[in-house]
Amino acid sequence: MTRNAEAVLIAAAATLAAIGVAMVQFAAGSWLDADVALTFIVFAFTFGVIHLAFRAWAPNANPLILPIAGFLAAIGFIEVFRIDPNLAALQRWWLAIAGISAAFVVWLLRDSGVAVLRRYRYLFLVAAVGLLLLPLLPESWPIHGAVVNGSRLWVRVTVPFADVDLSFQPGEVAKVLLTIFLASYLADRSEAMATVSRSIGPIRLPEPRHLGPVIIAAGAAFLVLMYQRDLGASLLLFALFIGMLYAATGRGVYVVSGLVAVVVAGVVAYQQFAHVRVRISAWLDPFADFTGAGYQTAQGLFAMGSGSLTGSGLGLGRPDLIPEATTDFVFAAVGEELGLAGSIAVITAYALFVTVGFGIALRCRDRFRKYLSGGLTILVGIQAFLIIAGVVRVLPITGLTTPLMSYGGSSLLASALILALLGRASHEERV
Amino acid sequence: MPALILNALKILFLLLLFLFLWQIAGAIRVHIGGRGSAARGKGPTELVVLRGDVTKGKRVKLRGSGHTVGRSPDADIIIDDPYASDFHARISAENGQTRVEDLGSTNGTYVNGRRITAPTGVVKGDTVQIGKTMLEVR
Repeated sequence: MTRNAEAVLIAAAATLAAIGVAMVQFAAGSWLDADVALTFIVFAFTFGVIHLAFRAWAPNANPLILPIAGFLAAIGFIEVFRIDPNLAALQRWWLAIAGISAAFVVWLLRDSGVAVLRRYRYLFLVAAVGLLLLPLLPESWPIHGAVVNGSRLWVRVTVPFADVDLSFQPGEVAKVLLTIFLASYLADRSEAMATVSRSIGPIRLPEPRHLGPVIIAAGAAFLVLMYQRDLGASLLLFALFIGMLYAATGRGVYVVSGLVAVVVAGVVAYQQFAHVRVRISAWLDPFADFTGAGYQTAQGLFAMGSGSLTGSGLGLGRPDLIPEATTDFVFAAVGEELGLAGSIAVITAYALFVTVGFGIALRCRDRFRKYLSGGLTILVGIQAFLIIAGVVRVLPITGLTTPLMSYGGSSLLASALILALLGRASHEERV
Repeated sequence: MPALILNALKILFLLLLFLFLWQIAGAIRVHIGGRGSAARGKGPTELVVLRGDVTKGKRVKLRGSGHTVGRSPDADIIIDDPYASDFHARISAENGQTRVEDLGSTNGTYVNGRRITAPTGVVKGDTVQIGKTMLEVR
């Protein structure tokens, strides 16, 4: 597998996106137009730029990350285009910006490598918490928080002297910064956390002082997210903390206590928050309140059910009936138009991404790089799992974006960061 | 008629998706090195002499039962190096893991530039220094 093969696979992913868009238009009765060409160009540009950045500044980067990411982005984009072409036009801009950002990160780290991130870990922690706090800024300020769908996750910037509002979800980038912090912290302390515990005896707990900062960081993040009513992101961050602690120490005690904590927190949240109760009941029986809380889940189920084995065909279903089909429920849209086969393709692609990511982590000899690439992989894998599980009703809806597939600039930007860091980390391991 | 074409296109598109994934999966398999985990599938198979004189030549195949390395004519791998002890180190392969062990040599055994005090696992690309002789595990 070489850089050239990577380029070919990127071109193939861009072609898939273009073919999908062409099929959507064909189904609608119109013939090929500029959208098909634009889609191909934007995909080739986005991943091509990162590819060229890898060639120039990280020539040994794993060549499989970009093609898999391109594949997922292509399928997501096709559905976004199918549901709302105007949104897709915006998404093309986001893709291009994400590609340039990833290339920029690779360039930034060209000499110093990811190791430089390790030194600034508390800066990243502060930045992450700051980003998480941003949506709480009062409404009257030029930069202020905004409530979307009952969660206060968005920041809206009112550009002065122009009637334009820019919004973004700072939490998406914050979780990547938190992963860098955790990787850096654990790289220094993992030995203490894994070995000290052994000497304590039957109750295998590490010394509290080693865990302190991690717990404080986790606690701060959760409090903010709880206050913003973003339980999906809380769950994701918690899973990330637990996953990375386990990866760093190899101690099952973290996983077990983490699961217990999730169950306890879930019960408390169920009793304390009305919107959690609503979500749980919509999960257990979406048809009990079909026109209300259960509507989204139920529509998703109808969509996937009508999709059956091979789907209705691109542009031939009605995924526009599902609320939030371009973001949270993009998987249901894929299930409707590409059927079980398409859904399996998506899940396979995520599984391959996780395989490649953990493969990179396993090969790393440097602890920081190992935990960083492992943590980023856990982040993508868990997020994909949580939201897809929510759509197919294995878990309650968590309201996360589907990594790389959903419409959204913040989410794509975070994914681009992840791709750049994974690529760079894998490059350094093979020099 | 259009319905038939649309259906055929749909199936074709799905096939393309899986063809793409198949390519990726194939590349991952090559990457990992055939079957088994990276550690098992691509364990070290030979020693390459980077610097110094080894009577067996520039490349020595590693065998499962292990080798002793030293200046003594009775060592499995004999090195002509005044800084090496008679039986300087042992290189063994157990459960697919290759390990280097110092046999109480005078000048020590170094893995990747660090003096080892206990049996140390090595993977492909690691260097083992015995006296002035430099070996690489491949």
